[in-house]
Amino acid sequence: MAIRNSARTSGLALALGLSVTLAGCVQSRQYADLQFTPPAGDYKLLVLRPDVTVGSLTTGGMVEPRADWTDQARSAIVAALRAQQLARGGQVTIVEHRNEVAGVSASELADMERLNAVVDESIVIHKYLGDYLPTKVGKGLDWTVGETAVSLGRKSGYDYALFLHAEDQVASTGRIALAVLGLAGCAVGFCAPNVGGATQLDYASLVDLKTGEVIWFNVVRAGSEVPGIKFGDLRTPAGAAQMVDRLLNRMKPGAAVARQAREQR
Amino acid sequence: MCWRCTQFSRRSLLAGGGIAAASLATGSAQARIRPADMVPLIGPGYKPVDKDEIGLWQQMERVEEEVAGSNLLIDDPALNAYLKNIIGTVGGPAAQDFRIYLAHIPEFNAVMFPTGFAVIFSGLLLRMRNEAQLAGVIAHESGHFLRRHMIRSWRDMRRKSDLFAIGAMVAGVAGAGVGVYTGDYVQLAQLGTMLSLFHYSREIEAEADATGARLIEQAGYPPMEMADIWQQLINEENASAAYRRKHRDRGYSLFATHPAPESRMVDLRADAADVTVAGKAYDNRRARYLDAIAAIRPMLLDDQVKLNDPGASEYLIETLAQDGWNGLLRYNEGEVWRLRNRNGDDVRAAQSYAAAVVYPDAPAEAWRWHGISLMKAGRSAEAKQAFAHYLAMKPDAPDAAWVRQMMG
Repeated sequence: MAIRNSARTSGLALALGLSVTLAGCVQSRQYADLQFTPPAGDYKLLVLRPDVTVGSLTTGGMVEPRADWTDQARSAIVAALRAQQLARGGQVTIVEHRNEVAGVSASELADMERLNAVVDESIVIHKYLGDYLPTKVGKGLDWTVGETAVSLGRKSGYDYALFLHAEDQVASTGRIALAVLGLAGCAVGFCAPNVGGATQLDYASLVDLKTGEVIWFNVVRAGSEVPGIKFGDLRTPAGAAQMVDRLLNRMKPGAAVARQAREQR
Repeated sequence: MCWRCTQFSRRSLLAGGGIAAASLATGSAQARIRPADMVPLIGPGYKPVDKDEIGLWQQMERVEEEVAGSNLLIDDPALNAYLKNIIGTVGGPAAQDFRIYLAHIPEFNAVMFPTGFAVIFSGLLLRMRNEAQLAGVIAHESGHFLRRHMIRSWRDMRRKSDLFAIGAMVAGVAGAGVGVYTGDYVQLAQLGTMLSLFHYSREIEAEADATGARLIEQAGYPPMEMADIWQQLINEENASAAYRRKHRDRGYSLFATHPAPESRMVDLRADAADVTVAGKAYDNRRARYLDAIAAIRPMLLDDQVKLNDPGASEYLIETLAQDGWNGLLRYNEGEVWRLRNRNGDDVRAAQSYAAAVVYPDAPAEAWRWHGISLMKAGRSAEAKQAFAHYLAMKPDAPDAAWVRQMMG
C-alpha cells in the first residue's frame, strides 16, 4: 500500500545510511549495466519528482524536517541538474507532480515510481548491503523495471528516466554545543566530540526507457561525525552543484563497454 | 496516531536489563482525562505557523499523494462520501478540512496523519456494528488532530531526547572528572526517557478517547458505543488466542503506546457517563450503517475468513449475528469451519450452508457449497436442486461446466 511504499522509500534511505561506515568523509559507489554508455548527444531525459528533504539535526540526534530549507535545496538541485544536463547536451524535463507528463496518466507514473522503488530496494540489498547474488556476479547492474518503463517511454517519448533522492541535515546549535561539551570532556578523559553530525545521503538510478533496464545506480554519502563540519550544503547553489557533480557527473561506462574501448586502443 | 498501533514487545525491551528501573517507574497512577477539558486547540482551516510543524506538514504532502493514489483504496464513491460525511459530523471545528481514505486492509485500525487526513482500514468496517461505533473511532482520530497531538508528541520527543543527550554527555564528563564510570546511570536514564515517551503517548491516546466521546455525544450518537468497541476487541483477541492455545498478548502495560484495552474501556465508560445527557435521545444509526457497507460486506467477511484465524473469525461472525443472523453470515460461518477442517468441521460447515440458503440474501456460493455437502452426504437429488439454484444465480460462474457435470 501507499503508506508502506513511502515507508519503504525512507527505509531504503535508512538502510543505505547505515551501510556506509560512520567515517567523516564523502563516499560514492556506482554500478552500471555491462553495456552502459553514459547518455550523450541528443537524448531526452525525464527526471521524476526529485525526492529532497533537508532537516535540522536536533541536540538529541533527531532529524526535524524544515520546509524552507527543503524548498531552497530542491530549487538549487533542480537548477544544478539543468545546468549539468545542458552541458551534456541532453534535453531534460523535471516534473514535480505526477500529472505533468504529457501522454501519461498520473496513475501510470505512480506505478512506475512504485515499481522503481522496489527495484531500487533490491539493488541496494544485493549490491550495497552485502547480500550478493551468485547469479549476478560479474554482470554489472542486472535489473529491469520491465514493460512498465518501456510503455512509459513509448507514451511519453523520453529515452531515459532518472530517479533522484537527496537528504541533508544541518546540525542545530544545540547539537554543535553537545559536541563542544564532548570535546571539553577530553581534558578529563571523557572524550566524545564525535556525537554524530549532519549526514547527506543521495542516490540516483537511471532507467533506459527503450529496454526498461536500470542501467546505472549511484549512492553518495557525505557525513561527518563532528557536528558543525559539513561536506557540502544542499541549500546553496554551490552545494547542490557539488552534489549533482558527485552523484551524476562521474558516470562510468559499463564493464563490457570499457573493455571494448581498451581493446580498441 | 492510530487507533491500535503495533505494540512494543515488553520482553524485548526489558531484555536490555532495566527491569529494576522499570518496576520503580510504574508506581505513579494516572488521573483520568475528562472529556469536558478536551476543548479543540485549533479552529477551521488550520495551517501551521511554527517551523517544525511546517516541515512536518511538507513531508506529509507526498505521503498523502501516495495514499490518495494507492491502488489499495476501495474505490466506492457512495461509501467514501458516507465516510466523509461522518468525519464532517464528528470532526469538530476541522470537520470540513479532513480528508478520509478507505484502504482495503483486513485489520482493525484507523490512522490520522498530522495534516488532517485519515486512513480507515476495511477491517474496521467489518467489526463496527453500527454507525455510532464507526463515528466513535473516527471521532477519536479527529481528536488527535484537534488536540494537535502529532506536533505535541514530536516536540515532547525532541525535548526528551535533547535532555537525554545533554544529560548523558554531562554525566560522562562529570563522572570522568571525579573518576566514576557513569554508564549504568546513563542506561537507567535512557530507560526513564523511554518510559516517559510511552507515557506521553498513552496520555494523548486517552485525550483522543475523551475528545472522541465528547464529539460523538454532540453529534447525537450514544457515547457508550465507544467502550463497547473495546470490549469486543478484547473478546476477539481472547477468542483468537484461545484457538491457538495461547494467551492474548498482554504486552500492554508498561511499554504500551496505547492504554491497555481493559483500562481504556473502563475510562471510556466513565467518559461516556460524563458526557451523556440524561433524557437526550441518542441514535446509533445502525440501519444507515448497514446500508452503507452492504455492497462491500461480502468482501469484508471473505477477507476475514481468509486470514486463517478461525478463533477471531468465529467470534466476529457470532458478534455480528447478535443483531440477527442472515444468509451471508451463515455462509461465512460455514466457510470458517470448512477451512479450519478439524474433525467434524465438514458436518458443522454443511449445517451452516444449509442454514444459509434458507435466507433470501444467501450468496450463490452458499448454494454451491450446500450442493457439494449434500452430494457428499449421498443426497444427490437435493444436491442437484442446490446446484441448479447456484447456476441460476451465477450462470457465468467459472466452475459452471464442472457443476453441470456434477449434476449429471
